Amino acid sequence: MKVGFIGLGAMGRPMALHLQRAGYELFVWARRPASADGLPATLCATPAELGRQCDVVFTIITSSADVEAVALGSNGLIEGMAPDSVLIDCSTIAPDAARRIAARLAEKGIHMLDAPVSGGTQGAIDATLAIMAGGDAAVLERVRPLLDCLGQRIVHIGPSGAGQVAKACNQMIMVAAIEAAAEAMRLASASGVDCAKVKQALAGGSAASRVLDVMGERMVKRDFAAGIEARLHHKDFGLVLEAARKSGVPVPLTASVAQQLNALMAQGWGKDDTASLLRVLERA
Amino acid sequence: MKIAFIGLGIMGRPMALNLLKGGHEVTVWARRAESMQPLLDAGAQGAASPAEAARGKGVVISMVADAPDVAEVMRGVAQGAAPGLVAVDMSTIAPAAARQIGLDLAAAGVDFMDAPVSGGEVGAIAGTLSIMAGGSDAAFAKAKPAFECMGKNIVHVGASGAGQVAKAANQIVTGMGVLAVAEAFAFAAKNGVDRNRVREALLGGFAYSKILENHGQRMLDRNFKPGFKSWMHEKDLNIVMQTAHELGLCLPGSAATAQMFNAMVGSGMGEEDSIAVLKLLERLSGQE
Repeated sequence: MKVGFIGLGAMGRPMALHLQRAGYELFVWARRPASADGLPATLCATPAELGRQCDVVFTIITSSADVEAVALGSNGLIEGMAPDSVLIDCSTIAPDAARRIAARLAEKGIHMLDAPVSGGTQGAIDATLAIMAGGDAAVLERVRPLLDCLGQRIVHIGPSGAGQVAKACNQMIMVAAIEAAAEAMRLASASGVDCAKVKQALAGGSAASRVLDVMGERMVKRDFAAGIEARLHHKDFGLVLEAARKSGVPVPLTASVAQQLNALMAQGWGKDDTASLLRVLERA
Repeated sequence: MKIAFIGLGIMGRPMALNLLKGGHEVTVWARRAESMQPLLDAGAQGAASPAEAARGKGVVISMVADAPDVAEVMRGVAQGAAPGLVAVDMSTIAPAAARQIGLDLAAAGVDFMDAPVSGGEVGAIAGTLSIMAGGSDAAFAKAKPAFECMGKNIVHVGASGAGQVAKAANQIVTGMGVLAVAEAFAFAAKNGVDRNRVREALLGGFAYSKILENHGQRMLDRNFKPGFKSWMHEKDLNIVMQTAHELGLCLPGSAATAQMFNAMVGSGMGEEDSIAVLKLLERLSGQE
């Protein structure tokens, strides 16, 4: 089977390699062709050209507008992909945008799954991503063998857009937990207590979490080099708040955390890890 | 002066009437033809489109709902514009959207000014609105006679977009102000203290504000009729929060307030006055 891949960043590159190693013939397109260097893949000139050659196409890029441009823009996938082929969009975008793009593709008989992922760069490298899919369940079953190359927990959430809703929920919980860890670390050190010890103790109790484990450790070591660039969480929080607004659902904690992320961006730490929320607290 | 006025809703209608009273020649256009009738009865001319309304005028004023409406109306205005036309939008929209519309119109030779207002329907009828203008000195000078028919406190805040920035700042203060008064009343009531007396006491001190005085009284009267609808305050605070997100600006109080208004809209209070936030607080704390 011929598989297309667009978005060869920190997440996309290891994902594409997993697919290639599993025996799929790989086609790629990149805005900057240099990002495809060293990949055992055929480089295509446009998304449309890539679409013409592939049965399944993955995208994992930054914003709703980017996905829209690659899928529906001029020389976009929609111009090349054949009826009954499948676009799997692993980007984190607005549920609305995902539904809109899927509807346009459906007019041409092209299937789309929104399949955002959680697990970070390490999850992409280890092929242990959590994948939350929205779209036709039968289409998901068709492409499940490909997703099995990328992740361990692949859940069909519901119809088109549902995967993005689940991802929004994921981001709300995760980043709020990072803020909670940061505030706890800040209180500990301001009280003259060793953060490392606090973190060690908490790991055995009810406050134990993956976030405390991974992000807490970065805070203790004051290692703010990116695992996940904070600007991406900042972007995601814009999407979450917009979705909450459209549904008329109050999200007071999310809104409050979003302000800490705004402060983080203002400090110029957008390309650092979200553990930098600790540094925001230290500014106050 | 020959003035075109576009958008004849709760605010636009009395504003246009005040221009007529001020002796200006007014041409009106509204999406719904029936909203034009009261103005035609009062002596205004009617137009078939924004382009036609703008033709031959010195100043065009719009008062519509949201940025896409302003952009659409102004595209029409540009088609009918005579050289030197000043187009003034008095709606509340995002500063970035206003700046963009200003750039688009400049390309068509129209001098655009954002001039949102504060003061509500009461201020619009009485001609006592606060007007916050952003744009060139020349545009402000040309539009000023029109502003003077509609408002009292007229400030040229700065360049294009500056009026909308001031208006967003106004909505931060009024949004948090309404919530602060409502919280103070909920606090008093939960402590078994008469909130009428609390309001009276506070009016004499540093907590005095128009919001405590006017909105506070309406809360005590449980008069939740708009006034200023909570869905509109939610929309305005969303402009604040989106701008803060784009700029990297930490606004914790506004964020919390915006979520309260979001909850009001979601729970069916959108059409009530924003002071109905008191009812939301009471529901949350079991004070119904």
